[in-house]
Amino acid sequence: MNETTPAVKRSKKRVLDQNLILLVLIVLLAVVATIVNPRFLRITNIINIFQQIAVLGIVASGVGVLLISGHIDISVGSQVSLMGVIVAMVIQKMLGLPDLEVGQWSIRLAYPVAFLATFGTGFLLGLINGLVVIRAKAASFIITLGFMTVYQGVALLVSRGGSYTLYGRFEALGRGRIFNVIPVSILFFLGVVFLAYIILKHLRFGRFLYAIGDNRKAAYVSGINTNRIIVSGYVMVGLLNALAAIIMISRVGTALASTGDSYGLDSLASVVVGGVAITGGKGNALSIFLGVVLIGLIGNALVVMNVNPYMRDVVIGLIIVAAVTISEVTGEQT
Amino acid sequence: MPTENILEARRINKSYPGVQALADVDFDLRVGEVHALVGQNGAGKSTLVEIIAGSLKPDSGEIVYEGESYAQLDPSKSIDLGIQTVHQENQLVNELSVAENIYLYDLPRSRFGLVNYSACTARANDLLQGLGIDIDPSRKVSRLTFIERKLISIAKARSKQEKVLIFDEPTASLDEHGKNLLFDIIRKNVEKGLSVLYISHNLGEIFEICDRVTVLKDGVKVNTQNVQNVSMSEVVQQMIGRAAERLYVRGESAVSNEKGGLEVIDYSREGVVDHVSFAVRKGEIFGIGGLVGAGRTELARMIFGLDPKDSGTLRFEGREITPRGPYDAIQKGIGYLTEDRKDDGLTLGQSVAANISLVRVVKSNKGILNLGEEQSQTGKMSDQLDIKTPSIRQRVINLSGGNQQKVVLGKWLYAGSEALIFDEPTVGVDVGAKGEIYRMMEDLARDGKVIIMISSDNPELVAVSDRVAIMRGRRLAAILEGEQITEENILRYAMGVDEQG
Repeated sequence: MNETTPAVKRSKKRVLDQNLILLVLIVLLAVVATIVNPRFLRITNIINIFQQIAVLGIVASGVGVLLISGHIDISVGSQVSLMGVIVAMVIQKMLGLPDLEVGQWSIRLAYPVAFLATFGTGFLLGLINGLVVIRAKAASFIITLGFMTVYQGVALLVSRGGSYTLYGRFEALGRGRIFNVIPVSILFFLGVVFLAYIILKHLRFGRFLYAIGDNRKAAYVSGINTNRIIVSGYVMVGLLNALAAIIMISRVGTALASTGDSYGLDSLASVVVGGVAITGGKGNALSIFLGVVLIGLIGNALVVMNVNPYMRDVVIGLIIVAAVTISEVTGEQT
Repeated sequence: MPTENILEARRINKSYPGVQALADVDFDLRVGEVHALVGQNGAGKSTLVEIIAGSLKPDSGEIVYEGESYAQLDPSKSIDLGIQTVHQENQLVNELSVAENIYLYDLPRSRFGLVNYSACTARANDLLQGLGIDIDPSRKVSRLTFIERKLISIAKARSKQEKVLIFDEPTASLDEHGKNLLFDIIRKNVEKGLSVLYISHNLGEIFEICDRVTVLKDGVKVNTQNVQNVSMSEVVQQMIGRAAERLYVRGESAVSNEKGGLEVIDYSREGVVDHVSFAVRKGEIFGIGGLVGAGRTELARMIFGLDPKDSGTLRFEGREITPRGPYDAIQKGIGYLTEDRKDDGLTLGQSVAANISLVRVVKSNKGILNLGEEQSQTGKMSDQLDIKTPSIRQRVINLSGGNQQKVVLGKWLYAGSEALIFDEPTVGVDVGAKGEIYRMMEDLARDGKVIIMISSDNPELVAVSDRVAIMRGRRLAAILEGEQITEENILRYAMGVDEQG
């Protein structure tokens, strides 16, 4: 009894620490940004930040939940780009934008077809990633790195290197506000974080993800169909990316083959900073949420503080390296 | 017979926390002899060999090698002196040729510092010819058969004019032909003055190839004797020693009279398990003994549906239930407590509660967890098994070995398993927790469960089992009952004494 008690305190403290450190960092960053530019703390800016990070939050929730199983998806950025191109292309063509004649049925079906095509694509991309990852002996990192390039290429092919513009015809999801205050996209973001919480805490699926991430062999001996769970994880990521792509396009109004690319790195940075172990088995919805907020905040703060925008990538990259290094050092040593 | 010693170990002591691995052990190896080292698991054979090979440092004592005294050796020093170990597993580089492997650390160079392949192949050819090994040195190691690789390992050791070769279970995976080839090579080289330290569980082989045999028991040297002057039975007796105090006192046996507990029928896979059948009644603790590598764990994995099999039917209470995989086995009430809980038994980073409930969650097929019930039931299970943890939210990695093993047991009990296979249940478990685990197995038997216990710890098999099956060379060699269950009998069947001696 006495032997194990200190260990408990230590491990509990560590979990608290992680989220506490994140909160402190977030507050610190907010204070600095406010000092440099008092407008940072305005409610409109805060809402603005959350609106900006909504898409990232949706992508990162998928990546984070999957990473708990010890599997990574590097291709999410180009998935979002590709699906952004698809949703915009379908809507533009079916609505006949900017001013082509199209049938009434086409206009009526434009959005349902676009959504269906996007979610269908998300499902398919996730399925492909997952199936190849479980079949191949190589690490998921390398497999999905390869698919990242494939999807980038497909996005370029589909968009023919150009863009699809929606001329303000599809703004409700990305720009709409409830009561003129709360952006719709934030609700989607929070909804998805809540979904991640439900999956990880209350669903068998989530429990299996933890078990697989912690010890895949033990999970298999315990009767878990590890392959099916891993593929399901990738499909879940694909579907969330589809949602993210729709909201993104609704917000920006134009789809290029690279519109969503940055979400790949940013989502990884978010979940790693949040404390999801890169080796799996550790992390929760709150850590993913705080990680997203921190990464979103950094982007916004740099803009508000008038720092060279190109600095952003340098900072995000360093954060990934730092977070992974620190968690390796302080992590599983017992 | 030569009498000059090439190597002597004098008064070697080595202890680990809680165990005296070697106590004042003396050992000597003569020039040109094959000297066997035998003893039960944990007798200290590996420790002694590792000290001689330089990979372990003794607490006290000295090694005398060719008249020179050393307080300790290190691996490169040992190799410099001419002591080389031929390991059980293949340590060759598969993608290189035989010649390149032999001279891996000493490749002949050309004038420009590049590898001189023709010289290398020629030298290897001479060496192999001299050793009587008929293998083309330019062949790739990946294309060699198992025995050929083993012979190349020996050639590699001999290439550096080694004087002492240590063999660790050299025939473990060899057939009769391979064994004879190996013995021929050993004999030829011993004639030329090589000394061999031979570790094996196979007494038949020891009596065939060795000159002397040293018996270790619990870290103490029992005896060194010429094999001509001793019988296999005497060696077995020395390995066991006088009857030690009972490890654990069992209660009344609870074996049910009714037919049809768990029937294992004709389980087989080429080269792994050879047509094994037995039946275990409800309430019975059925031990399976044998040497490491006899096919016991492989059999358990096949029964549980983890590994493929060529044939095999499992029946429980008269119905066929042969599992198609772990999930299927679990649904049919089988539980498997794996050999290495850290490798595939536990999710160490997760909580006690999550580990105990895992199989139950799998079995229930419910998509939504009932966290309230889980907490109360896993808490109860934890109390029932007396798992020493401040909270069921504690991560399993922070528990002691014995408590971790109880968590593994808890997860199969909570899942309602009717037949449980324990694979080495008390490895790395302290003495106190061992007794608790035995008592739990007994309680389970009394509840009418079927218990199969694979163990390499012979006193444990004797103390706990109602019957003991012994596997040797992938086959079921014998099933012992009642008075027949003694350490001596287990060892005799495990090592095949009766057939060869």
